Amino acid sequence: MACPQARFSSPSVSPVVRLRPHPLRVALVGNPNVGKSVLFERLTGRYATVSNYPGTTVAVTRGRALVGAEVCEIIDTPGVTTLDGHLSEDEEVTRRVLARGEAELVVHVADARSLRRTLLLSAQLAAFELPTILVLNMADEARAHGIVIDRDALEEELGIPVVETVAVDGRGMGDLRAALASGAILKKVAGQVNGDAVVWARRVAERCRRRSGVRVARWQERFATLARNPWSGVPILLVTLYVMYLFVGVFGAQFLVGLLEETAFGAYLNPWAAAAVERSVPFAFVQDLLTGPYGLISMGLTYAIAIVLPVVATFFLIFGLLEDSGYIPRVAIFSDRMFRAMGLNGKAVLPMVLGLGCDTMATMTTRILHTRKERLIAILLLALGIPCSAQLATIMGILGGISFAALVTLFGVVMAQMFLVGFLAARIVPGERSEFILELPPIRRPRLANVATKTLLRVRWYLGEAVPLFLIGTFFLFVMDRVGALAWVTAAAEPLVTGLLGLPAATAGVFIMGFLRRDYGAAGLFVLAQNHELSGVQAVVALTVMTLFVPCVAHFLMIVKEQGLKTGLAIVGVVTPIAIFTGALLNHAFKVFGIEF
Amino acid sequence: MRSRSSASNSEAGGAPRLSSLRAGARGVIRGVVPDANGRVERLAALGVTAGASIEVLQTFPGVVFRCDETELAIEPAVARAILVDES
Repeated sequence: MACPQARFSSPSVSPVVRLRPHPLRVALVGNPNVGKSVLFERLTGRYATVSNYPGTTVAVTRGRALVGAEVCEIIDTPGVTTLDGHLSEDEEVTRRVLARGEAELVVHVADARSLRRTLLLSAQLAAFELPTILVLNMADEARAHGIVIDRDALEEELGIPVVETVAVDGRGMGDLRAALASGAILKKVAGQVNGDAVVWARRVAERCRRRSGVRVARWQERFATLARNPWSGVPILLVTLYVMYLFVGVFGAQFLVGLLEETAFGAYLNPWAAAAVERSVPFAFVQDLLTGPYGLISMGLTYAIAIVLPVVATFFLIFGLLEDSGYIPRVAIFSDRMFRAMGLNGKAVLPMVLGLGCDTMATMTTRILHTRKERLIAILLLALGIPCSAQLATIMGILGGISFAALVTLFGVVMAQMFLVGFLAARIVPGERSEFILELPPIRRPRLANVATKTLLRVRWYLGEAVPLFLIGTFFLFVMDRVGALAWVTAAAEPLVTGLLGLPAATAGVFIMGFLRRDYGAAGLFVLAQNHELSGVQAVVALTVMTLFVPCVAHFLMIVKEQGLKTGLAIVGVVTPIAIFTGALLNHAFKVFGIEF
Repeated sequence: MRSRSSASNSEAGGAPRLSSLRAGARGVIRGVVPDANGRVERLAALGVTAGASIEVLQTFPGVVFRCDETELAIEPAVARAILVDES
């Protein structure tokens, strides 16, 4: 293979060591879902979340890479379908990186199969007048589709180095590193395009791309067909949900939680900690703080590690598998009509499903939606009705132990409530929804290494995020209990909690925990249910209120960050009364119709 | 509704819409009826431009079609705005 440096580096610049005030800043730019984040990881050794659907990266990630003797700063950007005209918020993030001189070299990452689309973006990139390298990634998939690209012809047409890679295997990375020193400005393109980029892109694509004509229908394509066809797609969706329930709700929330909570913590750790504290600390106050009813160990750590962690881990594992398979966007085909009634379109299924993992992250992902109205409605619905994995954990743990009907009732009520609020919001919130146009990624076999890395990182993130809050929350409750405030609040909230919602008075304390984190509150309910202090009907009412309740602190802060304090407070102001009203309604309906679980 | 769509149909020289094609049909894009929200640009960025060849994969509940190597799902209103010469 010819060395690209020889052809493209300008003579005044040594490709190896240049003197700069800062490291060379290299931006990875390209269409969504072409593997920019995989390439980023290959170059920097830093992991950026990788999935098989557009919109995984919605903010910029930076990392350092050593290229030759030079340190480069690599910038992973959100995928763009266009850099011109009406941009979604994540596309705007990328455009700013290019327009504000935050990058000195562009690595245009492309799916080797879609040359024409790639060239349309090249034409837009030319306007930024930055040295550019074109990376044709996923070259193996292109070949499997019978597509062969004439790299030399393409280099000649564009006037920049072109490198073929299979980033997931690390193939072609040597070529890319060599080329990094030698990007050239897309001058030839700018000259050719000015007439009509569409015509130019088609001509160049036709010249540089050959098709062998052999197209093997692999199992992936057969599955893709089955997944999008309504007759087979709906059963596949139901089976997928059921498998998720078995893995997360039964294996995680019942088996693993039982193992950790009853055996590890209940039979060994907590009694052992209580004995150790009693032996070594003579003060009853400190003993209570650590191992009392609101103890940091007996309550805070037990909730976080024994009740919530197993479910979060099992959920993230299966969720990672789904993400990487490319299946999730296909669900959008079935849900588009429903989302349209709520002022959104099928694309909203991505943040909603992501919300089942973590509402905080999902709130940021609403950037992939096109209009302000859509982002606002999606954020409202996430805050209102989408339980995050930690909360799902406790819901499944409690209701799974009561009956399947209880579980179906809860999700039915929450979904109906979301639909109603969405339907009204679509009519009240000013603005427009955008049309549903969604690219479906190819179905791929998930790489277990990536799923494992992603799961571990997310679990670690959960521990870092949730455990401190669980401990702070427990401490807060402990103090409230000590100064008598807990009894006071419980008494004050009693008409609401016991009267309107028909719940035991102790639930008031649990709802206070729910203000901090919904899952923390739900874990409190889990313990109440375990001690048989909640009847089936009470569990459904309490969990419905908790699910519709205000989001956790981190989620609230993210809403404020994305939409401002006013909107954040407005969302809480809308969501809280809805939660309590729905709970009250449910409680009375159960009584009137004599429903028991 | 009908009169409006037939009016823009005649403007476009009577080319059939993507929405009228059955699953399995192939064709070449003739153009996209513009709207105020950049529909033409959004589709163009995905490769749906005049001259691109397409294959309809599915028509219900949404339209799914392949354009080059890109598989796209769109709502019926968008399918009605894409003019296609069936081949």
